[in-house]
Amino acid sequence: MSGHLYVAMLKSHAKMLGGFIYGAAAYLILIVWVYPSIADMKGFNDMIQALPEGMRKLVGMENGIHSLADYVAGEFYGLLFLIILMIYVILTATRLMARLVDQGSMAYLLATPFSREKIAATQAAVLLTGLALIVTFTTLSGIAASEWLISGYELDIPSFIKLNVLTFLVFSVIAAYCFLISAASNDEKKALGLSAGITLGFYMLNLAGKLSDKTEWMGNFTIFKAYDPIKMINNETNALLTGSALGITTLLLITTSVIVFKKRNLPL
Amino acid sequence: MIKVEQLTKRFTPEKGLFDLNFDVKKGEVFGYIGPNGAGKSTTIRHLMGFMKPDTGESSINGLNCWNKSSDVQKLVGYLPGEIVFLEGMTGLRFLTLLQNMRKQTDTKKRDELIERFQLDVKTPIRKMSKGMKQKVGIIAAFMHEPEVLILDEPTSGLDPLMQRVFIDLILEEKQKNKTILMSSHSFQEIERTCDSAGMIKDGRLVALEDMHSLRSVQRRVFDVKVKNEIDVDIILQSSLQAEVTGKNSIHVTVQGNDQDFVQLLSQCEVEHLDTRPQDLEDIFMHYYDRRDVAR
Repeated sequence: MSGHLYVAMLKSHAKMLGGFIYGAAAYLILIVWVYPSIADMKGFNDMIQALPEGMRKLVGMENGIHSLADYVAGEFYGLLFLIILMIYVILTATRLMARLVDQGSMAYLLATPFSREKIAATQAAVLLTGLALIVTFTTLSGIAASEWLISGYELDIPSFIKLNVLTFLVFSVIAAYCFLISAASNDEKKALGLSAGITLGFYMLNLAGKLSDKTEWMGNFTIFKAYDPIKMINNETNALLTGSALGITTLLLITTSVIVFKKRNLPL
Repeated sequence: MIKVEQLTKRFTPEKGLFDLNFDVKKGEVFGYIGPNGAGKSTTIRHLMGFMKPDTGESSINGLNCWNKSSDVQKLVGYLPGEIVFLEGMTGLRFLTLLQNMRKQTDTKKRDELIERFQLDVKTPIRKMSKGMKQKVGIIAAFMHEPEVLILDEPTSGLDPLMQRVFIDLILEEKQKNKTILMSSHSFQEIERTCDSAGMIKDGRLVALEDMHSLRSVQRRVFDVKVKNEIDVDIILQSSLQAEVTGKNSIHVTVQGNDQDFVQLLSQCEVEHLDTRPQDLEDIFMHYYDRRDVAR
């Protein structure tokens, strides 16, 4: 790790990161803020129940909305936040490695006494730090909004934090395989296309798996299998097991990326 | 100091580097010349440890350039051929980042270079012109006073004045016993600074000579315009190789016999005199011709 590079990289990503944090936090606050009016709306759950089951699963409301936790997990973590984080990790992973190699500025970083391993490890740390920052700020704004913006509805804070930690770990794995692709690529556009393609593919499989019984098996072949916000916030998953499996996978993928980057020819 | 031994890297059977051998001694300035796509940058990428050779090896100060690349970097200042910096920084912030990464605290040399190249370091990098970027690159390569300098086409993008500043800088560093390898496709640039030169073509080293012998085979073509027909005849009848190209204008080829040329011209009324820049292909071709004749 190079501390100076880490800080410089974070600074140069600060604007984009700020945008993502702002977007995620603002939307979560908005969603929490309107919760009382939805919860008070009579017949809302009946309306939801009237939808076909596959559809309900898709929008994250299998059982309707019974608590603030269900609502936040289904409406925000199951939809918008997922997309925000997907975009962030794909873009940032590509920018941190493949773009620098493609453009040639990596030459300057490697021309310092830092080894390739250290440069790659620093870049990976920048990626995961950015992801952690988005999740942390979102967690804080969710808690703040539920505490101060609305009254009469409790958010179970420990479960909410657990959901966020798991969300971070799931997206760490996505970030890590995008980073691996990025570290192995000479072409920024190809790296971006491949990362986005694989991730969207996983997402499609996930949707298909939820759609009907016949396609359920498809859901087993996607990383999003590990991401079920409603179950997570209701403590219906084995958080420790899932969490550690995700953490280890991330670590393995990042290590592989560093080794791949160390051994390959660079067109700088 | 810099040693390249049987370095081979095949991209395709025709493209790549093939059995490259050369050696740059400490304190020597080595010019690496060749047309575009000949393999200059590829060789340099091997020296910087960006590429792994198929066979053979290169080393700097006895350290293998691939295995020990991070140790090699401590000794080396590098100017890439294509200059792209990190985005979203000013020139100064970029230079400071590199200094920090090298754990260098002294900014004297850096500031002196900035002053010398008259660089406005506060300009954001994305707003810099090609020449400005080149200056930032040169400063980045020289500011930590490395033992070895590896410069890939260092003067591209610089105006003639800055090219002179750069050449002075190279000569100064040479005085300090630094080892320098610079690539170029311009013979003139190499001629003014280097002790020896290697010529590469299609991935193969075709000539490796000290500067003196290269200079002796260097052929220059002068574009001479004289006053009248009589002068044309005088030139045509001389021992020099000459060719009429238009009314009263002649191309005269001079190679080692500069004295004869000057004497010849003194007999004529010269209206205009110009030299054509030699293209490298010519120098190569001629280099072969001469060697074959000598055999």
